Amino acid sequence: MTLLDFARGPALQWSLIILVFGVLWRITGSMLIMAKKDLSKPRRNTAVRDGFATIARRSLPEHQFEKKIRFQHYTGYAWHIALFISVLFFGPHILFFESVLGFGWPNLPNSIILVTGAIALAILIALLIRRTSHPVLRLISNADDYISIIVVIVPIITGILAFAHLGARYETLLAIHLLSVEALFVWFPFGKLIHTALTFPSRFQAGSTFGRRGVKA
Amino acid sequence: MSVDNTAFQEFRASIDKLGNELPDDGLTGEERVRRAKNTFMQKLDSGMAVDLETCIHCGMCAEACHYFEATQDEKYAPVYKVEPLRRFYRRELSPMRWLFRPFTRDLTAEDLEKWQELVYEGCTGCGRCDMMCPMGINLSTLINVMREGLASAGLVPAELRALQTEQRDEATVFGVGADQLRELVERMGQQGIDVPLDKSQCDVVVLTTAIEILLFSDALAATAKILNQLGANWTLLSKGFEATNLGLISGDEITQRKATARIVEQATGCGAKIVILPETGHAYQALRWEGANEVDEALPFEVLAISEFIAREYDAGRLKLKASANGRSVTYHDPCRLGRHGGVIGQPRQLLEALGLDFREADSNGRENYCCGGGCGEYVINRSAPLRQKAFEIKKREFDATDADEVVTSCANCRVNLMIGASNAGWQKPVESLVGKVAASLAD
Amino acid sequence: MHNDQTLGEYLQSQGVSRRGFLKFCSATASLMALPPSAFAQVAEALATARRPSVVWLSFQECTGCTESLTRSHAPTVESLIFDAISLDYHHTLQAAAGEGAEAARMAAMEENSGEYLLVVDGSIPLGNPAYSTIAGVSNLDMLQESAANAAAIIAVGTCAAFGGIPHANPNPTGAVSVSEIIKDKPIINVSGCPPIPVVITGVLAHYLTFGTIPELDALGRPAAFFGQNIHDRCYRRPFYERGQFAHTFDDEGARKGWCLYELGCKGPTTYNACATLKWNEGTSFPIGSGHGCLGCSEPDFWDKGSFYTPISAGLWGSREALLGAAAAGAAIGVGAAMAARARKKKSQDAEEAQTT
Repeated sequence: MTLLDFARGPALQWSLIILVFGVLWRITGSMLIMAKKDLSKPRRNTAVRDGFATIARRSLPEHQFEKKIRFQHYTGYAWHIALFISVLFFGPHILFFESVLGFGWPNLPNSIILVTGAIALAILIALLIRRTSHPVLRLISNADDYISIIVVIVPIITGILAFAHLGARYETLLAIHLLSVEALFVWFPFGKLIHTALTFPSRFQAGSTFGRRGVKA
Repeated sequence: MSVDNTAFQEFRASIDKLGNELPDDGLTGEERVRRAKNTFMQKLDSGMAVDLETCIHCGMCAEACHYFEATQDEKYAPVYKVEPLRRFYRRELSPMRWLFRPFTRDLTAEDLEKWQELVYEGCTGCGRCDMMCPMGINLSTLINVMREGLASAGLVPAELRALQTEQRDEATVFGVGADQLRELVERMGQQGIDVPLDKSQCDVVVLTTAIEILLFSDALAATAKILNQLGANWTLLSKGFEATNLGLISGDEITQRKATARIVEQATGCGAKIVILPETGHAYQALRWEGANEVDEALPFEVLAISEFIAREYDAGRLKLKASANGRSVTYHDPCRLGRHGGVIGQPRQLLEALGLDFREADSNGRENYCCGGGCGEYVINRSAPLRQKAFEIKKREFDATDADEVVTSCANCRVNLMIGASNAGWQKPVESLVGKVAASLAD
Repeated sequence: MHNDQTLGEYLQSQGVSRRGFLKFCSATASLMALPPSAFAQVAEALATARRPSVVWLSFQECTGCTESLTRSHAPTVESLIFDAISLDYHHTLQAAAGEGAEAARMAAMEENSGEYLLVVDGSIPLGNPAYSTIAGVSNLDMLQESAANAAAIIAVGTCAAFGGIPHANPNPTGAVSVSEIIKDKPIINVSGCPPIPVVITGVLAHYLTFGTIPELDALGRPAAFFGQNIHDRCYRRPFYERGQFAHTFDDEGARKGWCLYELGCKGPTTYNACATLKWNEGTSFPIGSGHGCLGCSEPDFWDKGSFYTPISAGLWGSREALLGAAAAGAAIGVGAAMAARARKKKSQDAEEAQTT
């Protein structure tokens, strides 16, 4: 079995299984620990609507807060959006998703993909440097923070190298790229990348808790 | 200024002396850790679990915190304030605890002692971080759990512990009990202000606080005037008048329950339909939002802040106000526990505008308001005075930017803390009570 | 039979002019990526080369490699080179049959011991020697016997080079390549299913010229022909770069000649000369005719998923397994949460017991 066969076969199989297994484990395990009923009289009974409203609203901070976090806010959006464009709209990626999900969708021109990939990479590297130098981030950061950003950065780098056919034979570059993505899958349930799933119940809860008191969260 | 300066200085002096004669509780480090862990174990629920799992260490919460803004000291980052709780959760309750345990440091007595400062002095539970967090984490709730853990471990700061044990054991705060209340009611009666005391049946029970009795009796007098104007069937209850809840502030569960239960029992006993909180922040939260949970059943009466009550009466047309501004401009400081945590944001503004005042919003107002810096019992901790003063500079800057003649607020704690800050900074603008302003403009 | 004529004399006797011969030499030299200075050496060497004895063994094969070699519409110098070697044994092309053919083989190997070239096409079954025999002799025995005194071995076609089609899952005959059996002789793998004709003759020309085997890649293939992948020389590359793909065999992209990556083209991972030399004397190659490269010159090309599965697609996608993993994860999560609740309750009860 070549490295590429391994990356497309058993490595893909087990990394996806670990990803799905771990994410479900962590989400159900944390959401079901216990919830105490609040006996105080709410101002209004729109808990569900308030929850969803905050899921949306928290993505658009109020000016008084936004002005304090401008750099992180805009670079955070920029790299997430750029990375999603590269991941979701590159032709060969869509073919990969189709093989796992059973359906695909139209792709974007490669020139756009390369630009968004480079933007995401540059911002992530800048944020990694920021994490090592900003006083608050240095105090609160741990191994999880560094591992999580590296498992995202490495697939972008290996992807660009594979796309540009730079550094080794294509089948090796493609295998390394696939393996780096599979490493991301394996790490995903156990580190802070789980926020992709848990931010929704977390924001929802903030919305409904403050909403029942009549405060927009 | 409608506050007697001598009383104000006496009050400040009494704070200085707090906690000087507390005995050592004799707990070992291991015992403290054991108790804190027990409290954490019982208090953590799924909402907190999801919050602790989803933090991405972005550090934005620090940018919302007035203490971080005032000092740029990273130890005030809200997420850092809950670090021991996070570690406990990962080791003991997280669904993946078996995987995380080998990589997560256990709690030590040193941790608890170090975090006392961060959680009691470095935080007022204002909740600004709750609003900032992109993940929607309720940090103030988590920090409150930290206080509860430290309280069970005997690590409440001395000044707070003095007040908390006083309320728990003597049922008084700052030495103010039924006798002092009766004295004040008598004095008010002599000044022509009728304050009913200990009616056996009534519609409205009014609460007050030790600070109001000692320092801001103008607010209590104003409340009486308004209720009398409305012709309400109301009373104060000498066995259940104290709204201050040192249990909520310190994190001591027993004291919190006792203080709340006393109010509920007394108010229920006289058949109250409404219980009115005076100008206060934490006490509103203690009764309106946590009261039912403390006594394990829904409250049989409605709970309203005084500004809520007045606004409702004004809306219904039962209370008439005179617009008599004389060109005075005011800005309003939202008490954190009343506004952001309490939901009483619109009513004070509605009333100030009804009074015909030239109302100017500060840049940060309502749910984005900056804390006065002394909330949640902070202002009695003497050691934190320099820190609070730095935080006051933020408020001063915002107030100055409005160029208003006065600052109005609806919380006695905020009021005294802003006055302390102003006094230290030589800032001249007065800090007034909302209720006082309303009472001064009642139309006949 | 071994002929005393030199290659130059033979070609002349077949009507190839000196000019034609030199054109072939310069083409061969540039094909082998040799510098212009080597041209004279190539011409001299080929003109005076002895016609080497070549024994061609056909094992588990389809004869496609021979067909490819001999399919010419007009006599070309390549085919004449092929004729110019002394092909002393070849099942399809020889006139002799039966015992006589075997005797000719043994005689050629003995007379040219240490100097003859052994060409092999087809794989060798190890599962049971009886799966493929010639004159009652198993492929394995015949290979070992014939390789013993050969100067070098050319494994022609993917079957001989890597096991090819018989080697594909589940490999019922236990087919293996030449290099898995012979370890002590130089082996040149000329893979392809079939290989391009001029690649074979180019290797022969190199051997005739220099008496050595050409530079080989990591899989033992001549680097001159197998050193670059199809993708790097594909005329449709600009469409790949731009992200313009044919999605089906008759859509707009297919008709406009866009990249065939999505239809399973294995060009990026296939090393051969198809995109430059092409087939049928430069007429076309699979991609040029609208079908993706099959990767036929690579080991195990039948086992890389379907020919129509893109290279970037995973080779695994079981929905049942993922649903099972999700269910298992949820179950463990619920269990962990229940255990957490129990711990909380225990702590609560213990504290209540203490205070009462």
